[in-house]
Amino acid sequence: MDNIGEHPPEITPPTETWEVELQKVSIVRRILNSRKWYGADWWFVAVSSVLVVIFIIIAIFPSLFAPYDPSALVGPSFLAPGAYPPVPELIVSNTSSANSLKDLAVTSDQPRPTISVVQGGNSAGALNDAAKEIDNQIKNESGGLRLRPVIDRYATVEEALQAVVDGKDTAAVVGSDEFVRLKAQYPTLREGESIAGGAKTAGGFLLGTNDIGQDVWSRLLWGTRVALIIGFSSSLLSLIIGVPLGLMAAFIGGSFDRLMSLLMDSMYAFPGLILAIAITAVLGPSVINVIVAIAVLYIPTYYRMVRGQTLAVKEDVYVEAARSIGARSREILQRYIFPNVIPSVAIIFSVNVADAILTGAGLAFLGLGLPPTIPDWGIDLARGQRFIQNAWWLITFPGLTILLVVLAFTLMGEGLMEIFNPKLRER
Amino acid sequence: MHDDILYSIRKLVVEYTTRAGAVKAVDDVSLDIRRGEIIGLVGESGCGKSTLGKALMRLHTGPAKITEGELWFDGRDLMTLPIEEMPEIRGAEIGMVFQDPMTSLNPVQRILDHLTETIQTHEPEVSDADARTRAEELIERLGIRKERITEYPHQMSGGMRQRVMISLALALRAKLVIADEPTTSLDVIVEAKFLDLLKELQKEFGLTILLITHNIGVVAEISDRIAVMYAAKMMEVGDVNDVFAQPKHPYTQGLLRSVPNILLDGAELYKMAGAPPDLSHPPSGCRFHTRCPFVMDICREEVPPLEAIEGAQSAACWLYPSVMAKRLEKEHA
Repeated sequence: MDNIGEHPPEITPPTETWEVELQKVSIVRRILNSRKWYGADWWFVAVSSVLVVIFIIIAIFPSLFAPYDPSALVGPSFLAPGAYPPVPELIVSNTSSANSLKDLAVTSDQPRPTISVVQGGNSAGALNDAAKEIDNQIKNESGGLRLRPVIDRYATVEEALQAVVDGKDTAAVVGSDEFVRLKAQYPTLREGESIAGGAKTAGGFLLGTNDIGQDVWSRLLWGTRVALIIGFSSSLLSLIIGVPLGLMAAFIGGSFDRLMSLLMDSMYAFPGLILAIAITAVLGPSVINVIVAIAVLYIPTYYRMVRGQTLAVKEDVYVEAARSIGARSREILQRYIFPNVIPSVAIIFSVNVADAILTGAGLAFLGLGLPPTIPDWGIDLARGQRFIQNAWWLITFPGLTILLVVLAFTLMGEGLMEIFNPKLRER
Repeated sequence: MHDDILYSIRKLVVEYTTRAGAVKAVDDVSLDIRRGEIIGLVGESGCGKSTLGKALMRLHTGPAKITEGELWFDGRDLMTLPIEEMPEIRGAEIGMVFQDPMTSLNPVQRILDHLTETIQTHEPEVSDADARTRAEELIERLGIRKERITEYPHQMSGGMRQRVMISLALALRAKLVIADEPTTSLDVIVEAKFLDLLKELQKEFGLTILLITHNIGVVAEISDRIAVMYAAKMMEVGDVNDVFAQPKHPYTQGLLRSVPNILLDGAELYKMAGAPPDLSHPPSGCRFHTRCPFVMDICREEVPPLEAIEGAQSAACWLYPSVMAKRLEKEHA
């Protein structure tokens, strides 16, 4: 096709030198270079994004990082961070021929051996595990031997050992270090082999154990999963509900808009946590209910933001231009208004995730929302606060973790906001 | 209805509902747009010319409403069509070019998407590849390299964007293009080039263009006919040469004398007394009587009809016998 007349010279805005340089480099270098223009915001986004990615990986694969089952009673209670748990071992009388747990196995018609342990330690758990394992091995062998010890619990090590001296119990299972300490007092007792179950905890507990002997570190890692599930799902849910409502209200206008705005503003007027408490109290404890309760809190945030932006975009000339080329309402919403509104939604989303995690932890701290069997930071905080005077690690680490996650998400969101939408800063 | 008339506006009234009551932004306006002409619609800011332009596509939303009149386009009265069917006319048969090319393109869509969307909205059977080919041919024709079709609006200059807007109207061979102050935001050089292009396109495609502007020079440059609006009323319509040579209506006379002219030779520019009236309380009778140097008693009492004065030139002014004759005719009837 012929062009009409001469081409008018293409008038382009003058190109800055940095723009020219920018075109020459690869995308990775371009992202790296952007730190020069965005300064601190760039670093905030970079560092917090790395943190967010780490948290997400942990949330997806907590079992790869957690050394123990978060709800199993794996160690002695109140073990300080870094301290090693004593390896439980079998203590028998000097006259006994038994040397290992297996030697205590008897045929089923004989009385079962009684073994003394100290309450609250890891000995009972270790003993149970080991006995079960041995029992499973030997019950199919010929001779019909079984190992099903009766466990006697005592308040102190001394009492447990005394019971063996007195002949009340066949043997005791106590930590090796404790027996070494008390050996002189019990000349009639000797050490047998250590209990196999104890080997699992020999690696120690990085952040200590809690009041019932659960590993704090493992619970933190598994708690990431619950926290992020709550944070992401509730934000996503409120986005899915709030964004279309905001779009519709602004686009349709009239009494629908007024009704929706009244509803949303009255929800917004409620103190957030109180509303969430009320909803979870009515719905009952479960992860889904917590997600729903928090989502309800944040629907007005999305609604108001999207409605405001849609009202502004709707008046833009290109929307009128779109109508003048015959675009219908659905197309205008889909292709003109939505893409122009969505960047701010994405930014609000990442800030919102942080807020939702905080609210979720707050609910759990109050004992609402989550069933107590789920490893969660809020629950750990609530349980740990009773022991703050002698076990600082119970609330320090979950608290710091919440701080870190919320900080990472918030810094990422705020940084992105500064970079992509400087105008939002003023709001 | 004559075949050479593409769009016939008859007794159109557009009202804005405001807190102060209904304001007629277009009041009883009639205008015939002929096939293949460029007709310039001039008037001061707020006289209702843009409202009239939008009304031709029934683009009004919110407080604006067409309350009376007929819009005969190519043998159909658009006012009798359900509003749901208007999108089929918009873009396909009537295109529009807006004032500010900086904001009239969607910032998140490429130029290509604008064009293919326009084509495929009206011709859904066209494949993506065909639509792209058509879009590329079109913008090449308007003097934009086709490689630039994948760019976003912010990567283009104002003149280029305005050409893209034109290409949207041309994409479906719209019969009528309404250009609402298309050159106001362009500098004079780009403006001149754009007007040349418009003129060429009009010849090439047999376009009919309604050029809405407050710049009377632009109208002189490219229009065949001119329509002058003042305070929601049509004041004068005629061929450009006739109106510029012998303006009939006192408003048009004042308007032309207030434009800088090389023949004035340093003499002071004419200043029209007064200011345009408040449309929520329009003056009685002729809207211009408050500022008219030839004001008569009848001007304050009765609205003059738009009547032919001389040849194809018509004006709404009691100064002319034919207008008076019309009044007498009415009285007898």
